[in-house]
Amino acid sequence: MSTDLVLQKVETLLAGFAKGTAKPEPNRLDLNIDASDLIAAITALRGARWGYLAALTGVDLGKEANQIEALYHLCEGDAIATLRVRVPRAGGAVPSVYALHPNSMFFERELMEMFGVTVTGLADTSHLFLPDGWPDGMYPLLKDTDVKAAAARTMGSEPPEMGRQGDRFIVPIGPQHPALKEPGHFEFAVDGELVTGATVRLGYVHRGIERACEQQNYTQNLYLTERVCGICSHSHANAYVNGVEQLAKVLAPPRAQAIRQLVACLERIHSHFLWLGVAAYEAGFETLLMYSWRDREVVMDVLEQMTGNRVNYSASVLGGVKYDVTAAHAAAIRRAMDTIEERATHYLHVVTTDTSFLARAQGIGVTSTEEADALGLLGPTLRAAGVTRDVRVDAPYGSYQQFPVTASVDSAGDLAARFKVRMLETLESVRVIRAILDGLPEGDLTVKFPRKIPAGETISRFEAPRGELFYYIKSNGTDKPERVKIRTPSICNWIYVLTKAVGSQMADVPPLLAGIDPCFSCNDRMIVVNRHGGDRRIWTREDLRRHASTQTRR
Amino acid sequence: MRALFNLLFFPGGLFLIVLALAYEWVDRKLLARFQNRIGPRWFQTVADIVKLLVKEEITPATAHPILFGVLPVVAMAGALTAALYVPLLGFRPAFSFKGDLIVTLYLLSLLTMSIGMAGWNSTSRFTMMGATRALTQLFSYEAPFMLALLGPAIVAQSWQISEIVAANQGPWLLLTQPFGFVVALIGLMGKLEMPPFDAPKAKTEIVAGALTEYSGRGLGLFHLGKEMELVVGLTLIAALYMGGIANPLEFFGKTLLLLVILSTLHAILTRLRIDQTVGLWWRYGAVAVLLQWLALIAWKGIVA
Repeated sequence: MSTDLVLQKVETLLAGFAKGTAKPEPNRLDLNIDASDLIAAITALRGARWGYLAALTGVDLGKEANQIEALYHLCEGDAIATLRVRVPRAGGAVPSVYALHPNSMFFERELMEMFGVTVTGLADTSHLFLPDGWPDGMYPLLKDTDVKAAAARTMGSEPPEMGRQGDRFIVPIGPQHPALKEPGHFEFAVDGELVTGATVRLGYVHRGIERACEQQNYTQNLYLTERVCGICSHSHANAYVNGVEQLAKVLAPPRAQAIRQLVACLERIHSHFLWLGVAAYEAGFETLLMYSWRDREVVMDVLEQMTGNRVNYSASVLGGVKYDVTAAHAAAIRRAMDTIEERATHYLHVVTTDTSFLARAQGIGVTSTEEADALGLLGPTLRAAGVTRDVRVDAPYGSYQQFPVTASVDSAGDLAARFKVRMLETLESVRVIRAILDGLPEGDLTVKFPRKIPAGETISRFEAPRGELFYYIKSNGTDKPERVKIRTPSICNWIYVLTKAVGSQMADVPPLLAGIDPCFSCNDRMIVVNRHGGDRRIWTREDLRRHASTQTRR
Repeated sequence: MRALFNLLFFPGGLFLIVLALAYEWVDRKLLARFQNRIGPRWFQTVADIVKLLVKEEITPATAHPILFGVLPVVAMAGALTAALYVPLLGFRPAFSFKGDLIVTLYLLSLLTMSIGMAGWNSTSRFTMMGATRALTQLFSYEAPFMLALLGPAIVAQSWQISEIVAANQGPWLLLTQPFGFVVALIGLMGKLEMPPFDAPKAKTEIVAGALTEYSGRGLGLFHLGKEMELVVGLTLIAALYMGGIANPLEFFGKTLLLLVILSTLHAILTRLRIDQTVGLWWRYGAVAVLLQWLALIAWKGIVA
């Protein structure tokens, strides 16, 4: 079905609710909906099995308009339908769509704490990202909120007492725990070895990136978004760059597009090898960690050779790429791909045949295709449950039409299937990298890019190693964006962990958790505060610089 | 005077500590090489223990302080005492009496009991779960492990280690009692909480299990006790199943061979869940050993 037909279906389904529609871009349809009609509208879409809830963006329309717009983005293939709900700035309320789209729980909690919009019918309204001591009535994404003052007031507040939760025996995991090298806090209620309850608390590394984006120009934001994640840095930078280029109506040259895809493929390989080791380690298979991380170095080396960096490659710039692929680079990448192909084939063999490994991975955390779709899961977690949903295939961006990718899918839906799918994706990436090197278009690396971007809004979706990355960018005609919304794949997959942990064995929880390849820094993006209990000293930029200078030998 | 020497230097005390640390190093080095790592230098295990022993020990406020301090000592004492009854280095055991095999087996269990009690005494959520798992695991492997080591005793019709060894002059018992040998060796892994039986201290789930609250000296002693038990256990299995130990050369050859097997299994297997461990022992381990026993008894009663 063509995109137009898909969007027409939405128009027909929501004809009774929409108070005006618009088609800002060929693949997008905007519908203005009243808050009271929201549930009915989303029910109609859900009933027709149209799309999944990709993100919920809040936009502060400013003091004059005195309104907040809540944008419910639903995606199907490359079509995006946005339900725009306007509520007053003070005391606005929207109903919770949790019953229809369970992953909305996290989006709605974010909307509440960042914009002060009440979400009615939400069971858990506690802070998700902001610290517990965050002052009431201070909503950091409202344009006129003094975030620094709010953060300063948070610093002084005492942490709340950890109350006993009845007679339940709670096993805390994180933010400091050997199972997680990243800061998230989970509480698992256990009865013996059986898990009977699970909650998650995020926000330990909230850095205020969405707010910071509004205060810097488009070029500076490129470096900021690249630092959202330490693993899929290129995905974030590229999702952002694609969005800004759409807004500016500038197309990067073909060679630049191909190089971006090349780096994205290399990044996927390194991310999947990293994950393979971590996930195997969580299940107690230490040897696989040691081997996969050794082999990951092969990719890291070629990335470093190409861009000079191992983590933040800075490959993409607005309107092109910064680095060319020379003949020497191409040869090095080809050599590396031979190694990677051999190793990935071996690991695929291991994760599908090793008896003791399968004893811990097969039949663990099984999701059916329907369930995975209903939960709104993304990326390899979703594809391992038999749903063929991949932005690179459904809505090919950049050079993905020239160098197409096939989605790797497995129908088992368990932990073992996620290992299999990721290894298949690695092999697919190797194939695509070779295709790109064979057919690398000649030409310029960059085109001239305007400093000011015309007013408008756009959505950029990018298939990161962990799943669909969603950027909403609104420009106001200046050199700084009006609003940047980043929805990372991890936040959509939490619901899977919380659902599946209950009823499983405690020993299966760490591999389940690692199975979605969670990325905490991706989730947490908002505010510069250390949470209570952490080091309460605030380091200024000058302190940090002084500290950094003592860490290097002169 | 001789007893004092036995207790302080050989086979107990100093000698066993040195041997235990050396074997730990071999184990760590082998594992590292299997995992494509370089591994520790030869003095690393000594350095680790020295570091732990001189460090401050923190006792949790809710734990019983005396019990908290005594348990590591008991655990190590169990392993040290057990060493007196086994033919370390191929020399005659320091002490020997009728029924010393049974005593040795119980002394070897003291470590796990101490770990379990230490976990309960520490009253942290991780230690409680670790203790529960350690004791659950104890109940799963203990019976098959004991039955496996009593197999050779039936053949020799004696409960005394030296007599059992002396009686078996024929082929190595691991050939005639393969089930018993395998169960004994795997049982030793369970006892020592070596992967894949490391669920009681699975760090990705319950940090360090029952010993999470231990630091400094207590942790060092537990650690040392475990390594000593490794040496004593290997010696016992080599003596019973591998045709006895006649001289130091044979001792190192046989026990190190067993250690290589343990390290290999450690490297290639994924950690078992505690329910899988219990299932494995009772469904396969116990049944295999009982079949072995049945065969032995039939052979003893009917054929011989």
